[in-house]
Amino acid sequence: MTTWHRVASASDVRDGEGFAVDVDGAAIALYRINGAIHAIDDVCTHEFAVLSQGFVQDGTIECPLHAAQFDIATGECLSGPAAQDLRTYPVRQEGDDIFVGVPEA
Amino acid sequence: MFLRNSWYVAASGQEAGRKPLRRVILGEPVVLFRTEDDTPVALEDRCAHRHLPLSMGKLIGDTLQCHYHGLRYDRTGACVRVPGQDLIPPSARVRSYPLVERYRWLWIWMGDPALADPAKITDYHWLDDSRWGAASEYLHVKANWQLIVDNLLDLTHLAFVHETTIGNSALVEHAGVKVQRAHDNVVVTRWIIDQPPPPTFVKVGGFTGNVDRWQIIDFVPPAFLRLDVGATPTGTGAPEGRRVGGISMRNLNAITPETETTSHYFWGQAHDFDIHNPHTTEKVVAQIRTAFLEDVAVFEAQQVNLDLVPNPPQTDINADTGVIQARRILDRLHREEAAAAPRAAAE
Repeated sequence: MTTWHRVASASDVRDGEGFAVDVDGAAIALYRINGAIHAIDDVCTHEFAVLSQGFVQDGTIECPLHAAQFDIATGECLSGPAAQDLRTYPVRQEGDDIFVGVPEA
Repeated sequence: MFLRNSWYVAASGQEAGRKPLRRVILGEPVVLFRTEDDTPVALEDRCAHRHLPLSMGKLIGDTLQCHYHGLRYDRTGACVRVPGQDLIPPSARVRSYPLVERYRWLWIWMGDPALADPAKITDYHWLDDSRWGAASEYLHVKANWQLIVDNLLDLTHLAFVHETTIGNSALVEHAGVKVQRAHDNVVVTRWIIDQPPPPTFVKVGGFTGNVDRWQIIDFVPPAFLRLDVGATPTGTGAPEGRRVGGISMRNLNAITPETETTSHYFWGQAHDFDIHNPHTTEKVVAQIRTAFLEDVAVFEAQQVNLDLVPNPPQTDINADTGVIQARRILDRLHREEAAAAPRAAAE
């Protein structure tokens, strides 16, 4: 069962930078890649860094602290020092509203 | 560890005169003076004969005479007189360093002289520009130079170290921060929108209500940090580039390593308001001086702990993003310089 949360307006999510949102205490970041909005966990799986303050390039996010890289669309960890992938979340757009789907515990 | 192939500030222009000035830079003793036509000169501050600092001697015309046995050196570092003998041994010479006077500072090149291109001197024109009021000062710091670089790349410390002058809690709790990086450059931009101004801004800017405040930190390796800071009354358009009705300043820092655990900290402050009034310049500089002395106390206390246990584990927090990006550039430049050194020696 997935719960959909309205988290942002479409214009909040810009090319080249993350947009951090809080969904019931979970830190999630939105990114726009080639027009499509993606939602992935916003805390690095290596140490406790907020990824959306890092560097977006070619569909990846690089951790601002220790340079781990993740694929924004799939959450896959592409290079260390992190080893674990990030969770991704479904995104739905209705008009200007962006919704993120979070599985219920 | 020092990057040698870079310009560093050796002294302010007015520090060098007809009285030789000793300054240790990157672990090397340097003596600075001016010739009779006012040309600044930097030589190795160690007599080729018995190692006394030449800065203990005196200028005879354009030559520097050693205080111990009277050997005299010209501005190129060549010995031109040995008292009591006619022949001058060819080995009797000290190193001379490229030196350029710019922005009221003397810039020295400690590395390979063949690479000393004055065009590579980092721009500090605000210190010497009729469109700005400005003054610069010097602090000696008993701490490693990188601690000072770290400090200037993460200004969240203002809220805690400088709450009586340039800091308040707004710049941590209500700030938007962006870090941009290039090959040899890091820029950290922080905007604090619709928040109370810190005490210094009230004193020198006369703000009565909330402000939009910016801090744009520009880092150029090894240790040049130029800060574009200021504020305008909230809602007047500064974030969109319209800086009116407020104050704009440049906080200009150039750090020169003295040894691994001590540093020369040259800094200046430029302001775009009331630019011809020396009292205003002094008022602004006094505020920053108060803050920077608070920083020096922090650096020196950090260094005491680092002397006890070098390289202890440390936790990084998100505010360190600019610091970490700068250290990555410095690490790369150290590797590049180390790799080039054996090649240069072989040539």
